[in-house]
Amino acid sequence: MAATRRLQKELNDIRQSGLKSFRDIQVDESNILTWQGLIVPDNPPYNKGAFRIEINFPAEYPFKPPKISFKTKIYHPNIDEKGQVCLPIISAENWKPATKTDQVIQALVALVNDPEPEHPLRAELAEEYLKDRKKFTKNAEEFTKKHSEKRPTD
Amino acid sequence: MTETISTLTAPISLSTYHQLSLTVESASIRNSGLFKPNPYLQVTIDDKISKKTEVIKNTLHPKWKEEFTILVTPLSQLLFRLADHHSFRKDNIIGEQRVNLLKILQYFNGKCENVELTLDMIKTASQENTPNSAESKTAEVVLLFDGLRIDPATLHQSHEALGEVTNSRNSNEGVRARIRRNNPETLRSMLRTPNLRPPPGPPPLSNGGVHIPGSNAVVDVPGAAAGPSHQEAPAPEPAHPPPSAASTSTPEEPLPPGWEMRYDVYGRRYYVDHNTRSTSWERPQPLPPGWEVRRDARGRVYYVDHNTRTTTWQRPDTERLARFQHWRGERRHVVAQGNQRFLYPQTQPPPHAQAELEPDAAQMPIGVGPASSMGGVGAPVPVGAVAGAVAGAPAGAGAAAAAAALDDGLGALPSGWERRVQPDGRVYYVNHKNRTTQWEDPRTQGQEVSAPEEALPPGWEIRFTEEGTRYFVDHNTRTTTFQDPRPGAPKGPQGAYGVPRAYERSFRWKLSQFRYLCQSNALPSHIKITLSRQTLFEDSYHQIMRLPAYELRRRLYIIFRGEEGLDYGGVSREWFFLLSHEVLNPMYCLFEYANKNNYSLQINPASYVNPDHLLYFKFIGRFIAMALYHGRFIYSGFTMPFYKRMLNKKLTMKDIESIDPEFYNSLVWIKDNNIDECGLEMWFSVDFEVLGQVIHHELKPAGDKERVTEANKEQYLQLVTQWRMTRGIEEQTSAFLDGFNEVVPLEWLKYFDERELELMLCGMQEVDVEDWQRNTIYRHYTRSSKQVAWFWQFVRQMDNEKRARLLQFVTGTCRVPVGGFAELMGSNGPQRFCIEKVGKDTWLPRSHTCFNRLDLPPYKSYEQLCEKLNYAIEETEGFGQE
Repeated sequence: MAATRRLQKELNDIRQSGLKSFRDIQVDESNILTWQGLIVPDNPPYNKGAFRIEINFPAEYPFKPPKISFKTKIYHPNIDEKGQVCLPIISAENWKPATKTDQVIQALVALVNDPEPEHPLRAELAEEYLKDRKKFTKNAEEFTKKHSEKRPTD
Repeated sequence: MTETISTLTAPISLSTYHQLSLTVESASIRNSGLFKPNPYLQVTIDDKISKKTEVIKNTLHPKWKEEFTILVTPLSQLLFRLADHHSFRKDNIIGEQRVNLLKILQYFNGKCENVELTLDMIKTASQENTPNSAESKTAEVVLLFDGLRIDPATLHQSHEALGEVTNSRNSNEGVRARIRRNNPETLRSMLRTPNLRPPPGPPPLSNGGVHIPGSNAVVDVPGAAAGPSHQEAPAPEPAHPPPSAASTSTPEEPLPPGWEMRYDVYGRRYYVDHNTRSTSWERPQPLPPGWEVRRDARGRVYYVDHNTRTTTWQRPDTERLARFQHWRGERRHVVAQGNQRFLYPQTQPPPHAQAELEPDAAQMPIGVGPASSMGGVGAPVPVGAVAGAVAGAPAGAGAAAAAAALDDGLGALPSGWERRVQPDGRVYYVNHKNRTTQWEDPRTQGQEVSAPEEALPPGWEIRFTEEGTRYFVDHNTRTTTFQDPRPGAPKGPQGAYGVPRAYERSFRWKLSQFRYLCQSNALPSHIKITLSRQTLFEDSYHQIMRLPAYELRRRLYIIFRGEEGLDYGGVSREWFFLLSHEVLNPMYCLFEYANKNNYSLQINPASYVNPDHLLYFKFIGRFIAMALYHGRFIYSGFTMPFYKRMLNKKLTMKDIESIDPEFYNSLVWIKDNNIDECGLEMWFSVDFEVLGQVIHHELKPAGDKERVTEANKEQYLQLVTQWRMTRGIEEQTSAFLDGFNEVVPLEWLKYFDERELELMLCGMQEVDVEDWQRNTIYRHYTRSSKQVAWFWQFVRQMDNEKRARLLQFVTGTCRVPVGGFAELMGSNGPQRFCIEKVGKDTWLPRSHTCFNRLDLPPYKSYEQLCEKLNYAIEETEGFGQE
């Protein structure tokens, strides 16, 4: 398994580094191409909860980038109802085989913390975010309370 | 990667948007009153979008450390305004400063990375309504710009294109910039530096990679899946196409009959199909209306579409059906397209044209060798005699020569070949496999520089002196000469094929050689192929595979049942076109479009789900060879790498670009960067996935144990390239080539390059230059740039063959979409023909076929442009790779 060794190493490194914003990493030993984990954002309105994501690595990793999807519903201009997210660092044009998953995760956490309404996946949320931040924050907070997972306590 | 990827909407990259990471760090404000202000900084980009920092209360030295990602063009004007927030009245402006981004980019040669800016915030008099219009500096603001990089060539161009603009507007007085080194806070900005590209129109939801339904885990699960009702281990689900990335939140429809949802030991959901005894990670979509699952005599599951009365091995789903619909929609155009294709008229050398007509010639030999001629003198190589020899009556001279050939140092002939000698002592070779003869030794073919030539005039013969020098005998006048009597024979410097260099490049010349070979090996009489339009594929398959391959060289007589008429060529032309479209039927799963790019075909690695696929590929190989042999066109061509494979040419890394740009980009990255410190963790082994199974491959013996390093990466890249181009399709390719070679020996193609092969197979089309020009976009050039004007002048004065070659060079195919140039596709969807200014005038033009882009350096004259473009179009190898 060509991708396996690299992913095994990346996984060990990430686990050892103890990222605060990405916790509870679950990888099924028989299939290291799929990871799950909990995104724990710091910024309001998402700092009231945690969000489960799945990272899918292609068999051709690292020639091809991984894909990320949210398993937890989130009220966010850059993440759509299906959990799809558009992250430049893993887009076809930007991908480099040397990009590490922890960089990808940090970029994702940064995007969750600070939405980029300039290229939204959900235009209506981006508009609300830009035009009526109060309302957006309120909606997002309520949504987070309702749908998100519990934040790890430690 | 130095190439930026163009977006359709922005022909000039000066007006495309880029992300800039802006960090507002701190300010220091001059004390101007009793109360300290509550400062915040606002930035307005091009008078449109603004962003504000938080308000920091009661300070002259606010520190924000707030980062924004803003969208800018190289021409953007950023207005920074420092203000004092008041809860009860209008905020008071402390000072403002305008930053002209272009100036900064020019200063740093396009790289705006980790650039620290210090702005003098100016308060102008007008803001205070004081009579004197004095300006005073009221504060300093420190900012950090990061993550923006613009091609310096763009900036250079801005001088020409936008000279006045850059001069008249602000010259960035009061702005100081420097690159900050060793910033401890660069982590985030480093993460963002990949965001250099203009945002593509719609955000790419998927990255275009291979989707992994369950990868190898699919193989693990079936044990758990096999319920009591299963007599055999379920196979992995046949080919579900990549579904959308996640479907957790979409409402779920009930499962189709016979399906069941289960959970594995890890709590993951999977689906069991009791009908086919298979499992899948993907939720099944119910069969569309009119579809039915059936099982054949061997218990294999297949699907019947009662709507179209067709069957397929793969479970239909939305995507496949959509592709099928698209494919069916093409049918309407297929025949019309066929009538628009043309190539040069086939000129037939008179002797062979006669041979075909004369019934006596039926059993008579038709000269094959390059210079054999009619009339007994030349002792033509008889096809019939070959058959006789096979039956066990070798000619004495032939046998003797065969013995003599044993110690020529080249080893044994390939199996099926025999070496023979004519009465005049000249050696020739018989290929018993496909019943052809040739002068060239098959062991040295492709290395040698001899070539078949035009037929000699009647009564002439070629002979060789003892030293091997060629001379010509004219039996009409009983004279000999070294001068070739044929028109257009070698004069001037000779090229690889023994003909003048200027001439051998000519496609026409090569084509006439090929036609000559076909005609020399033609068989008399004709074969009848009777088909029904409804079962075109099966009927054609059975009849073509039933015949010995060489019979397929007889004249074709195609009859569509119920429309009996005489086939004077029109019917067979239609048959080639229809059948070549039919083999693409997505339901057969034999071929796939290499990309969304241009609809060029490649063998589908998943074709093995079709149990008879190898026979079908052999059939298609025969069929494609028939098209070439009979000078007919097919609807849709193959990828350039596929043609190269047919020509037995080495595939290079660049070839990957046209079929898998993402993979190619990664290879280029590995090539261009020192990989020793990157932790790539790569070994001499690779994986890929087909139909949910991961296939592991060691690139060399014990490759799993050898790490890829900077020192050995060249070898790695070579091996990966070979693997990428052949993985999963070797057997299919050989079956195709076997079938092809039986009808047209692959050696006959060696004069052609891959682009010529496409032209021969697909024919040319009248190219509508007006439409082409109308639908072309420019980057770093404008419609009125002189190089652009020259380019179109050049295109207009070219003939159709040249235009086709130019199109191939830039778009990867000579075919124009049915709807014209507006429908040109790139690897990421519609992508119009694009001309970009790149490099210096000493460079050659380059192309990026996935993006239909021509990199045209700013040549100094029309003549120079013509010369360089001609060179690029004609030269096929080693070029464009730098």
